[in-house]
Amino acid sequence: MHEKRSLPLEVLRYGLIVLVIGFFVFPIFWMVLTSLKPDDAIMVSPPRFLFTPTLENYRHAIEDKNFLFYIRNTLIISVISTVFVVILGSLAAYSFARYNVGDGHLLFFILSTKMMPAIAVILPFFLIFREVGKTGFGQFMHLGLDQHGALILSYVVFNLPFAIWLLVSFFQDIPRELEHSARLDGLSRLKVLRKVTLPLAAPGIAVTAVFTLIFCWNEFLFAYILTRKTASTVTVGVESFFTLQGILWGPVAAAATIAVAPMLVFVLAMQRYMVRGLTFGAVRG
Amino acid sequence: MKKLLAAASVLALCAGHAQANECTNPVQITWSTIAGFYTDAMNQFVASFEKENCAKVQVINTDNSQLYNKQVIEMVGQTGAYDVVTLETAEKAEFAANGFILPMTEFLAERPDLVEDVAPTLRSITVEYDGNIWGLPYYTYSAGMFIRQDLLDDPIEQAAFQERYGYPLARPETWEQHRDIAEFFTRKAGEKLKGQMLERDFYGVGLMAGPFPDIQDELSAQLWGMGSDWLTDEGVVPVDDVEKVLAHYVGLLKFAPPAALTVTYDGVMNQMRDGQIAMTHGFFLDQWPNAVKTEESVPGAVIAAIEAPGKRAYVGGFLLAVSSSSANPEMAMRFVAHIGGPEVQRQFADMGGATTLMSVLSDPVYETAERRPLNGEYKTLLQVFESMKGFSSNLFNTPFGAKIYNTMHIPLQSAAAGQITPRQAAEQLAADVAAICGGPCPIKR
Amino acid sequence: MANVLGVSHASDMVVRSKAGMSDRTFSILLVAPALAVILVFAILPLVYALDVSFRFADLTRGGIREYVGLDNYRRVFSDSNFWTAGWITLKFTVVAVTLQMTLGVGIAFLLHGMTVGKGLVRSLIILPLATSAAVTGLFWRYLYDTQFGVLNWILGSFGLPEPNWLGDYTIALWSVVIFDVWQWTPFVALIALAGLQALPREPFEAAELDGASSWRVLRTLTFPLLKPVLFLVLVLRTIDCVRLYDAVAVLTRGGPGTSTETMTFYLYRTGLKLFRMDYASTMAIFFLYVMLVAAIFALTPLLKQFTDRAKEA
Repeated sequence: MHEKRSLPLEVLRYGLIVLVIGFFVFPIFWMVLTSLKPDDAIMVSPPRFLFTPTLENYRHAIEDKNFLFYIRNTLIISVISTVFVVILGSLAAYSFARYNVGDGHLLFFILSTKMMPAIAVILPFFLIFREVGKTGFGQFMHLGLDQHGALILSYVVFNLPFAIWLLVSFFQDIPRELEHSARLDGLSRLKVLRKVTLPLAAPGIAVTAVFTLIFCWNEFLFAYILTRKTASTVTVGVESFFTLQGILWGPVAAAATIAVAPMLVFVLAMQRYMVRGLTFGAVRG
Repeated sequence: MKKLLAAASVLALCAGHAQANECTNPVQITWSTIAGFYTDAMNQFVASFEKENCAKVQVINTDNSQLYNKQVIEMVGQTGAYDVVTLETAEKAEFAANGFILPMTEFLAERPDLVEDVAPTLRSITVEYDGNIWGLPYYTYSAGMFIRQDLLDDPIEQAAFQERYGYPLARPETWEQHRDIAEFFTRKAGEKLKGQMLERDFYGVGLMAGPFPDIQDELSAQLWGMGSDWLTDEGVVPVDDVEKVLAHYVGLLKFAPPAALTVTYDGVMNQMRDGQIAMTHGFFLDQWPNAVKTEESVPGAVIAAIEAPGKRAYVGGFLLAVSSSSANPEMAMRFVAHIGGPEVQRQFADMGGATTLMSVLSDPVYETAERRPLNGEYKTLLQVFESMKGFSSNLFNTPFGAKIYNTMHIPLQSAAAGQITPRQAAEQLAADVAAICGGPCPIKR
Repeated sequence: MANVLGVSHASDMVVRSKAGMSDRTFSILLVAPALAVILVFAILPLVYALDVSFRFADLTRGGIREYVGLDNYRRVFSDSNFWTAGWITLKFTVVAVTLQMTLGVGIAFLLHGMTVGKGLVRSLIILPLATSAAVTGLFWRYLYDTQFGVLNWILGSFGLPEPNWLGDYTIALWSVVIFDVWQWTPFVALIALAGLQALPREPFEAAELDGASSWRVLRTLTFPLLKPVLFLVLVLRTIDCVRLYDAVAVLTRGGPGTSTETMTFYLYRTGLKLFRMDYASTMAIFFLYVMLVAAIFALTPLLKQFTDRAKEA
């Protein structure tokens, strides 16, 4: 790893990196390019690289299809879900990491809930929320069908197992000595957690937050079954671009670009933080 | 009670205008329909309905391939979320037999003109079931086919065709002729078409052989054309007949672009507009405004909408029906009558929609040259309805039709892709259908 | 590890402070909210699915009806579609996860050695992760198109064969694999890269002084140290691949024919197209059972490592 660098090897390395970037970026590049194409330049063979760019597709997506409405829903649902996942997940993970609650069995159980195929539980979820939505409490919490709360709760349930497992390894990375001395200084357990442990685990929490947000943002099946219109998310909203006249490729591309943008900004903003945080506990050797 | 309801709604229909001005508490209804479907037009019709009745209509658009299961879930859950649903012809019997939708027989008894105006062929298959009327169709996807008339009219091609096949090049009357034409026009880049050098491959026929239900719509044209059906009167799949049409179809794939195995109708339209194909198989005539754009994108192209060979093709329409869990069924029924009625259908036609009403279809206004880009298929639609008068498929007469329709493409497409033989596919289909119905499917006309 | 017990007693002593709350109570209180949510929403649907799996339940034939004993379970064994779907899922998972892990780790090494522009490259390769399969999958369908797709156009201009990516039943599954690799390799790469960057320096410096070869260092130091991280990633990716749905739904819809019909897609067809909730639930429970058995074997080392470290205190 720390060997001397030879020029040909370096050329090879950067050559490979260019290939890697090409592979991962090209489809997105093509999507953005398509979003700027006029209608008659999209479904043509051979594919066209030169064209007069237009914002018509964006206008169509935003004005005619009201796509920002879905972005807004997705934003609300994803952000709130993520906040809940991070809070509940951190508390639980800390407990697993420090106190070994359930001696591994509980941790295993939590991961196992992620293994049930979503299709099999979709109907029970639908029925649960239908009933909850009829109660006063359900209405107050917006937990009915086609309401934001139902989707938020679902996303919290689905992302908690992943988040807890990720966070356990982060918490295990934090030296206990610091907590012990803080305890000896007379701080309560909760204070230690809040003032000492959580700040130290911040990078790990950030990473968990990013992945949770990404998963919520991109979820389709539950959003599709549990919502109709008022709480529909981006992935469901795109469906209205599959028309009887065919898929509206230009507007779909524009919508997809709009949908990716906030994620991208967020991920880029968290980037530095994230990669530092992406160190799993187990690595410290 | 029902009588009362119907009477009340008729009263309300008459009183509609009077109420309009003092509407403070509009009745909410929700219409579940196909995504992006003439959206602007629909918004306009919804607005006119809201103005005439004290109502607020919410339109929910769903991708066509997901519409069926989404609607069933809401119906089974009796959520009342959808007041008006949109059904494929094969889905009507299931919704009716399960009590998901309300009969509109009594409601429409007061407006017989509305039902009578629906093309008779469609009336029997989309609207009527088990002695009741279940709503009104508002759009027809009935099929004929599209063909490049300029290719048929080209003297060089005519001479070459005559020489090779021993009969003149013309619009296909049989599926054998259709095959010949498909074979004849399949050319490699570098060969000539209409005497001009081709820069890329050209194909005789565009097929919808992708993993979508449309493949069976194409096959229906052939199967019905030979006097058979997907289900016999005993409720089983006629394996030999299905094998035969499937074998013919698989043979046609040689003359179709390789993308055939991944596309549905929009893909075929893209191929048409890009000048890659000479004609379609049995194809939805409502796509005319799309198809005719080929004349702009391909120099010299002339598109003709004609009846499919054998004068049989997939017919049907999207039915608007009222959910039995609707909280405001009479307002929902009024909405169905509004959208399916002649006033709205005429406006719809003006925007290029394929209407189901005879009064609109046969209006000479739509025969003029200036209407051709939007309504050029109307004449052919009338011919299709004429040729198929009295036709019905058992697929539309069994309450299991919806499930069969939404999954039968799987074995058929397997055969098209070469994964299994046509025989195996036909047998698989028979087994799948028997499993769905739990034995022979009950048929109720 | 030998003094696990002793140390944990020590921590117990510290902990018995003012509030008088025991470690145990405190730890349970921390887990309780998350566990409550998971319990309700994991157990209720599971119980529901279990119940339905012993009944006749066709949603368009009277909904949830009478008990039929083990009929649905017997059907699983004789249903060739189920086993075919299982085999396809297995093929997909093994190939996709192997590719993602090797490529991901490879890319991590490539990036780790970069001297300039590391941040930029890192930001670029994270892009596929930020997109949803339901939407970008659609664009891959467009890329894969034999006529209008840019992929075959590029291959064609180099004179290479132009495969029918999604239409040829022999390769459609691999086209879905490529898509999944595209979307998820960055996940593996990012985590592996972070792992690499966090490795302690001392053992490597020592090895360098000893004059150990690069390969030896990799084999005896780097990989063993990275192993726990990679293992967790492997587990997470495997679970996701086995449950693959979105990519199939948008790219191939299980086709051509049934060549890309994975387990979850077959479940979808049974449950949401045929509305046979009984059989869909039965298959799901079968599926869950197999997953659990596999997980018990696969996860034991990971769990042991977690619990050992938790006890270390």
